[in-house]
Amino acid sequence: MTTKNKSLIQRLQQTSIPQRLVAVILIATAITGFSLVGQGLYIKAKAVLAQVLLERAWSRALAGEDAAKAWPWADTWPVAKISLPRIKQKAIVLNNASGEAMAFGPGLVAGTPLPGRPGTSVISGHRDTHFEFLRNVRQGDTIEVMTRTDKRITYKVDYMEVVDASASGIEPNAPGEKLALVTCWPFDDKNPGPLRYVVYASPYKIASGQPVIKPGLISFAR
Amino acid sequence: MLIRNSDATPGFQHSLSSSPHTIFKEIILIFIALSVFTLAGLAAAVAQPRLVGLGDIRSGGLLLNSKTPGKYVEAPRLQTDINVKITGLISRTVITQRFENPSSGWVEGIYVFPMPEDAAVDTLKMQIGDRFIEGLIKERKEAKRIYEEAKAQGKKASLIEQERPNMFTNSIANIGPGEIVIVQIEYQETVAQNKGVFSLRVPLVAAPRYLPDPVVLSVKFDSDTGLGQVGVSDPVADRSRITPPIARADENVKNPVSLSVMLDAGFPFSNLVSASHKIAVKTKSDTSAIIALAKGEVPANKDLTFSWQAAPGQAPTAALFREKVGDDDFLLAIVTPPRPAIDSTVTAVKIPREIIFVIDNSGSMAGPSIRQARQALLRALDRLKIDDRFNIIRFDDTMEELFPQTVAGDKENLNTAKRFVRNLTADGGTEMLAALKASLIDTSPTDTSSLRQVVFLTDGAIGNETQLFEEIVKNRGRSRIFTVGIGSAPNSFFMTRAAEYGRGTFTHIGSVKAVAKGMTELFEKLENPIMTDLAASWEGTGATDVSPETLPDLYAGEPVVIAAKMKKNGGALVLSGNLAGQPWLINLPLDKAASGEGIGKLWARRKIREYEGQRYISEDWKKLDGLILKTALAHHLVSRLTSLVAVDLTPTRAQGDKLASRKLPLELPQGWNFNKVFGETTPLLQKASLQQNDPARTARFAQLLSSKSGRNKAAKSRSKGIALPAGATLADRKIIMGLLILFLAFSGLLVTFFWRHLSRSYTRTKISRPSYDH
Repeated sequence: MTTKNKSLIQRLQQTSIPQRLVAVILIATAITGFSLVGQGLYIKAKAVLAQVLLERAWSRALAGEDAAKAWPWADTWPVAKISLPRIKQKAIVLNNASGEAMAFGPGLVAGTPLPGRPGTSVISGHRDTHFEFLRNVRQGDTIEVMTRTDKRITYKVDYMEVVDASASGIEPNAPGEKLALVTCWPFDDKNPGPLRYVVYASPYKIASGQPVIKPGLISFAR
Repeated sequence: MLIRNSDATPGFQHSLSSSPHTIFKEIILIFIALSVFTLAGLAAAVAQPRLVGLGDIRSGGLLLNSKTPGKYVEAPRLQTDINVKITGLISRTVITQRFENPSSGWVEGIYVFPMPEDAAVDTLKMQIGDRFIEGLIKERKEAKRIYEEAKAQGKKASLIEQERPNMFTNSIANIGPGEIVIVQIEYQETVAQNKGVFSLRVPLVAAPRYLPDPVVLSVKFDSDTGLGQVGVSDPVADRSRITPPIARADENVKNPVSLSVMLDAGFPFSNLVSASHKIAVKTKSDTSAIIALAKGEVPANKDLTFSWQAAPGQAPTAALFREKVGDDDFLLAIVTPPRPAIDSTVTAVKIPREIIFVIDNSGSMAGPSIRQARQALLRALDRLKIDDRFNIIRFDDTMEELFPQTVAGDKENLNTAKRFVRNLTADGGTEMLAALKASLIDTSPTDTSSLRQVVFLTDGAIGNETQLFEEIVKNRGRSRIFTVGIGSAPNSFFMTRAAEYGRGTFTHIGSVKAVAKGMTELFEKLENPIMTDLAASWEGTGATDVSPETLPDLYAGEPVVIAAKMKKNGGALVLSGNLAGQPWLINLPLDKAASGEGIGKLWARRKIREYEGQRYISEDWKKLDGLILKTALAHHLVSRLTSLVAVDLTPTRAQGDKLASRKLPLELPQGWNFNKVFGETTPLLQKASLQQNDPARTARFAQLLSSKSGRNKAAKSRSKGIALPAGATLADRKIIMGLLILFLAFSGLLVTFFWRHLSRSYTRTKISRPSYDH
């Protein structure tokens, strides 16, 4: 039996202790490296796959299903779809912008109104996945937003700004029906930081379809 | 193409490439220029006219456009005077401010001013140079159009807009060089009342919005703006902590404030004090006094607060005001129930309680939120007493009740509960309805001898608010719902509303540090309800549009405030409730109501707040906007949809006219109380004209002021705004680090391989042993 046919373990047993140590360290390092790359790719893959599943959930939501979830255990559901025709980008927007939700898609920041409602809607996404395209957005670009009430709102990008996350200056109750798309800044930074890139847009066309949800005020007995 | 072009301009090329000397000179020139600019900038910063952004503004001030877009020059303020008239529990404030346009050009200014959140702003009067303008209420867009038109025509105009419920802007067009502008704003509000202390706050500092409002107004029952401010705290205890420091210590921009308060309390009072400023009190009678600032003038760097107390046994138990506006009658009732601790007629009874804690452990609570929730709940368990009964329900997309029914708060049960809470992790969806239903199942719904309290700890990341509200209204029974908002941005609309329908309160806990304070505050309430089952009924009168719709429980020393629109005179308002376990009833004959000014406006402001709150759940927000607009227009109020606009119809002089030596007006129109307000107008005017004649100063302003002054973007106040979530994943970092580590491993492998290979060939040559590699 030649050494060539010996198993790895047998070969390891033949080697001296320092040699074994080197081998173990090398294998461990390689595993760590692969797992890190794997994790990173997993995040990316999850982001892409989730959007595919969300697209389906979104069509169910448009068909009238309340809180249509893309998968049964989801804690989030689509509330709008945004698309930027010039750079050919689109994304399904989720109902919240918690860290968990934003792994699957950009989210509507809590406390801000749905697009089309009075106030400033803030949609936040990751700079390295769903909102990677924000860097290519230019002043005057159109952003199309479709909400569940089948309303299509066309926004025009007013301006872009870099702000501090804790002092964004974005007032959810500000007059008008504005839109703000937010992502991390600088775009190529690999570490999380306090700065955010904000794209501000104002509506200039609203096409209203048949509302899916029945309108009406809820009233309560006194 | 490009090459040919540059070939065609050899001169240019020559100057660039073949004379380094020139370049050197240019660099030196640029360097010198830059230093000069820097020095000039420094000088400008040291000298008085200073560039500011809207975000730098912390108190009311006039901003003039500068050459730098988005930056302004703050016009020096000459004087602010505040005149408050308190009649009983209603206060009317007149703020008058004089500004000067120190530049030699025509300008448009923006005046940013803070307001108490529930103040009804109804009047704007302005004096620009010698013109007097009174504002009219118009729909916001219409008002803006009128203003822009007047501005373009060179007419003097002004526009008051609501930027946020507590921050207004006033734009003033076409102010001539050296002119003085006087702005007068009037608003009305109710006096805050808590634990027998009456207080009033005059905001001079536009604090960032997220700060808790230091004065808790009883009128905030209908707080629908999503602010977690419904807590009860002493209006003065932690003032220094709450009042933000003033960032600007610019000595030249002095902002002196003088003040006079006419207090007609309507009852004998004592302890008239100000926690913020030193005041001089001139007592007129035991029920009235005049208050002024001890120093005469103070800088406007903090809000003014006053409080007074009713003499023992003299506190009003009920106040009724009414006003006729057009065909409608408006009523405001403020009723303070007796306090068991103070009034010997009522003895405090310890009421046994049944508390259901509902904790959200869905995925959206992952991270710091669940830690806060766990800690808050543990703290709550610590406060339980042995005769309290309790249970815990946790929910994500599943639901679990800790005990089959409520159990006594003994040591064993508490330990089980604590273990359960500590082991909670956040995952899964948010199905709140089932948990809410379970929490409202009451085994003894008619038992009035004990209190049933449901405490909800959640971030409220839900989409079926309407359904949940319906469930609360239908099945609340005798249960009270207290919501505890967890995380930095909980769905506070849902929380406030749920607490309102559930006749409880909303507490916001934004960080782990805030847990202790928030929970203590909540528990003080849970343990000391004074008045429960409060209900209003109207006898022989058609009261419509009552605000608030559901009357809350009352806690120590809180009054209940009810505003209503009435169809006819007479009749009575009967308030009934359960006061410390005993039935309580008060009958208020409405014909005894004192006529009060602006009651209709106070009613309208509350109604607008209610409509604003409903916007988030109603699909039909256009209808709500219609209601807001109608109410605001009818009552002459500034709102999100309405603005005050004033245009001077008298033709104004053409722009560019020299006005340096113009006399400033001294006369005032009839009915305006500037004379009273400004006892000493002359020194001010002298000061103004002196400054005007300072050529250096005028020149500095001219430098800073935009040549195209008057062209102004809508004021966009830069507040703290909403906190933005993180916008990046760690994917790239992980991939890069992974690749680096892989590279390390690979190079390690290479090194060892070569090492072994070398050492092997070394041994082979030495011992001449046959190689393994055959």
